[in-house]
Formats: sequence, C-alpha cells, structure tokens
Amino acid sequence: METGELIFVTGGVRSGKSSYAENKAIELSRKSEAKLHYIACGMPSDEEMAERIARHQANRESVPVHWKTWECPYHLQCIAGYFSKQDILVLDCVTSLLNNYLFDCALDDPPNAIESILTDITCLQETAAALIVVSNEVTQGMPHSESFTRNYQYILGNVHQQIVYYADTVFLLENGLPICKKGAAS
Amino acid sequence: MHFITGGAYNGKRKWVKDHYAAEHYIWLSAYSSDALTKPLQNYIPSLAVLEGLEEWIRTQIDSAFSPYTLRQRVMDQLGVWLEWEQANSCRRLVIIGTDTSKGIVPMDKRQRYLRDVTGWVYQDIVAQAERADVIWYGIAQTIKNDYI
Repeated sequence: METGELIFVTGGVRSGKSSYAENKAIELSRKSEAKLHYIACGMPSDEEMAERIARHQANRESVPVHWKTWECPYHLQCIAGYFSKQDILVLDCVTSLLNNYLFDCALDDPPNAIESILTDITCLQETAAALIVVSNEVTQGMPHSESFTRNYQYILGNVHQQIVYYADTVFLLENGLPICKKGAAS
Repeated sequence: MHFITGGAYNGKRKWVKDHYAAEHYIWLSAYSSDALTKPLQNYIPSLAVLEGLEEWIRTQIDSAFSPYTLRQRVMDQLGVWLEWEQANSCRRLVIIGTDTSKGIVPMDKRQRYLRDVTGWVYQDIVAQAERADVIWYGIAQTIKNDYI
C-alpha cells in the first residue's frame, strides 16, 4: 500500500500548533476532496484538560468543514483500518499519547514506548492519504534532575528524531508562525 | 574547532558520528565521567570529540569561584586542546554541548550559576570556533562556518 504524506507540526505551548495543523489539513482536503478526521489523544482527566478539549472542539465546529473526531488515548493502530486514501488525519498530540502510554499502560521502558508511538504513526500513515502529527517542544532548558521527567524527555526527543526523519514536511511553530525545517513550505 | 549544540535528546551525538564517520578518534564524554581536559598521552588521533560540555562544567562548579573565574578556568582547559588542534592542520577538535538556556530560570541558585557559566562558555567557544551547528531532531542548522 502506498504510504500517505507525513507532516510534523511541533512548537511550544500556545504557539498555534493545532490551528496550523487543522488549516493544513483543510487545505489538503480541498485539493483532493478528502474527508477530515481529528484523532484526539488527550483525555479529560481534570477540569483544565476538559476546558482545553472543549476549546479545541469549538474551534473545529466554528469552521464550515466537517471534522470527524476520534477520541483514542492509545493503540491508535487499532483505528487505522477505518481510514482510506480518501482521508486526511490530524493526530493531536504525541505528548498526550506518550502520557497515556506511560500512565495508563504503565509502559515506561523507553524502547517500548518509542516503538508503540512509532507503530501508531506508521499504521495511520499507511492507510490514510495524509497524516499531520502535532507535538510539543519539551527538550529545551536544563536537563531535568528528576529521572521520570528525564526519561520522558528522552523518549519524546527520540520519537521526534524518528518522526522528523520519516516526515515529508516539518514545521516548528513560533508564536503562530510556521518555520519550515524540512521539505517545501507550500 | 567545530561546536555542536542543541536541546537534549535531539541527536547531536548521532549527527557527529554520521558527519565525521571517522575510524580513528578519541571520544571523551562527561556523561561517562570522563574529564574533558586533554590527556597527557603522547598519541592522540587527529579527531578529538569532547561530549557533554555542560555536564563537565557542572562537575567543576565550586561556589568558592565567581562565575567569571569558572568561565575562564573552563576556557583555559579548552585552550590546551585548541593549541593541540592548531599545531597540525590535519587535527580537528569537536565539542558537543547541550543547550540549557531556553527553559524557565531555575529557582535554585546553584542551577542558575551553572546555566550562566554554561551560556558564557558557549559564547566564548562559538567566537573561537571555525564552525558551529545547532542540531534539531537530527537536522543541522549551521550558524557559523569559516571552513568554506
């Protein structure tokens, strides 16, 4: 099967990553008349998270396009079979997915966690026309002295290296502006 | 001298290994508790890589010194390596240091001191380097290059 296009969007908090990824998906769907899917990995674990999810949902409802939302905390490979080359997916986001693997699945062994996330991404990319993966920059600053956090940074940094390697296009969002780090910024 | 920086876990070591692809080299890593001072042995391969500069600086922190003194001490020790490199045009010194400058200012005074010294040393190194690259998830951005 022909592998779909892979676009990686990363940046700091509140840098406009999700909006950029959604707009990119809409742009692609207009060209190919494909359907839009939003794979949400963040779970409403507390009030703050619930509020954040509600704001993202409201943003997607405010645009005149239809998004189908898939709430899926982990093992995204299980839903890959529902998609075809007529579908464009936004995966939001790798950090939530990693949190769920670490906390809900107790998967804190770095090679396993890295492998699980990359398998999810590869499976989705294989079935869909395009996959836009959103993540967060967490490797800046002093290396954390606390081993759990350092482990988290290690896993995420390595996952990002792999995604950047396989991605067709990579954007780093800075204050709402996309900086193209790889591929052509069309 | 070639300086490589970038955030933690961004693939700096892998980039250096791929870029230089050398068979003979000396690789000193502060993460393996190596001192990054130049060894006294007579023979040193023509490629020397010093990894974990920020960690090495951390091991040298002594509150008896001012940050300026420590910055100078570190640069003096690296100066020995620079002399070694300059003595023969085949030699190349590669220094890898994780960028620790972009997070929240640490609450702990010692951590702030460490971060300040690290930032200043990196500025001194880049000023003396022929080439400097920032590695971001395996992608290099060359911020200085006097080799070409």
